[in-house]
Amino acid sequence: MTRLARIRAEADADWRSFVRRRTAVFFTFLFPVILIVIFGALVRTDPTGGGLFAEPPAYYVPGYLATVVLFTPLSRLGSEVARHREGSRFEKLVTTPLTRGEWLLAQTVVNAAIIGLAALLILGLVIALTGANIVFSPLLVPYVLVGVVCFCGIGAMLGSYTDSRDGAVAASNAIGLPLLFLSDTFVTLEQLPGWFEPLVNLSPLTYFARGVRAVTFPQAEVATVGSLEPAIANLAVLAVLAVVAFGLGARSIPQTD
Amino acid sequence: MDAVVGAEDVRKTYGDVVALSSVSLSVGRGEVFALIGPNGAGKTTLVRALTGTTEPDSGTTQILGEHPMAVDRGRLGVLPQNFTPPDRLTARELLAYYAGLYDEARDPETVLADVGLADAGETWYENLSGGQQRRVCVGSALVNDPDVLFLDEPTTGIDPAGRRTVWRLIEDLAAAGTTVFLTTHDMAEAERLADRVGLLADGELVAVGTPEALVAEHGGSSHLAVDTEADATAFDDLEYPTEVRNGSVVVDDVSPAEIGTVVAYLEGRDLEYTGLTWAEPDLEDVYLELADDAELARTTRDEGTVLATAGGGPGR
Repeated sequence: MTRLARIRAEADADWRSFVRRRTAVFFTFLFPVILIVIFGALVRTDPTGGGLFAEPPAYYVPGYLATVVLFTPLSRLGSEVARHREGSRFEKLVTTPLTRGEWLLAQTVVNAAIIGLAALLILGLVIALTGANIVFSPLLVPYVLVGVVCFCGIGAMLGSYTDSRDGAVAASNAIGLPLLFLSDTFVTLEQLPGWFEPLVNLSPLTYFARGVRAVTFPQAEVATVGSLEPAIANLAVLAVLAVVAFGLGARSIPQTD
Repeated sequence: MDAVVGAEDVRKTYGDVVALSSVSLSVGRGEVFALIGPNGAGKTTLVRALTGTTEPDSGTTQILGEHPMAVDRGRLGVLPQNFTPPDRLTARELLAYYAGLYDEARDPETVLADVGLADAGETWYENLSGGQQRRVCVGSALVNDPDVLFLDEPTTGIDPAGRRTVWRLIEDLAAAGTTVFLTTHDMAEAERLADRVGLLADGELVAVGTPEALVAEHGGSSHLAVDTEADATAFDDLEYPTEVRNGSVVVDDVSPAEIGTVVAYLEGRDLEYTGLTWAEPDLEDVYLELADDAELARTTRDEGTVLATAGGGPGR
């Protein structure tokens, strides 16, 4: 109960801090909208005529969702950890009962709320602008949540191992952008060199994208993991990666100078 | 003494820089211990070593008989030196936030009033003045009603009235049995609050004692400063030792009853003067006596380094 109270206090403070930064709120939601407008409405998908995006619009739904599931935790956690370090906030928090894991969990809860709202906006826009025909499955919820946990852990590591807020944001962009395009999201495996496929399989976002695709666009061919259903198998792999990333992220948060 | 806070032979270096060199001290239950010393003397490093937020290279530290990282967090209150909390929370929200991290905490409203910010509770931290911000930070270290309180420069940036509010608060806490370890550059603060004062210079604890004992041992004598254009040699026949300090002729070892003797001397020789200032030695004199040596050694060393660099570099 007291652990829950600590996490709630931390999450409440973080949520209030976030919603009072109007530009941060605005651009958090604007970024995926811009991508959907560019890729979905301006460039357009053209399954029959060899357009830039050759698959049906529903194929790219995981990619659009990935813009927030990947980028928001990476940049928010990275800069938040750096901000905490610069303001000696960890030096303060380490002398309170709040543990590093609890702190990261509270941040993850706030990110999950933000990204949940952004995901709803994205799904609505994708359907409205691209005419994507997708299946709404309850499995979408755990995919988004587990993805957020995973990338919050990685974001915490970025913030811990870079030496400033600028460095954390730059690192999150440098890591996030290649992951976004090379994780079976917008670019299909067939469009990549054969030798690159093992690298695609190293990206946690790959399992998010394949799993979400299996859930929302059952007609798509999705790589299987063993003999399991792709929707469940990819979620399981993503969950394992999320636990590892969260654990490493929590451990990376500085306790001493 | 029942040591609540202790350091034993603590050494800490950052590369070639020795931040702490064999520092040992202990602070008793309910005691207020003030650590003074020049910038870069190692005060914050010592606070970090004592609170467990830095690992000493060698030596040990303890709080309430345990390693600092093992001590019950609810019994510990810490205000880091450069602490800045989330800036878009109000003062009230910040205290409620930190209170929410403890199983048992004081009413944030009471803490807000204690630090003199009852009227600023709804103001975002970023919109508070520097002094008000520091008071919120002090409040954040008190919300859990700690048994041991570490305050690293608690009154920096706070105006005189606000400083006295914080002083009274610390005095009340100490009277209630809280052990307080604070660092400060304000000698009046150390002299008023501290049961004992430690002076840290170049990473070494060069003196520890009650303010009275330190002043008696290192503060020198009471003295009378004479603002005059007259040459110091004009005071050669005076029965007290004299020297020129800060543009005044300073007559040492003069008690209040003996001021008349000096005035009679000045008037007997038609020496014009524009002011007389009598002062007892205080902690600042102790600080200047002990820390100045370290400062002098450091600046001499730095100048030597600069000269060597300027003269030794090719093509300069």
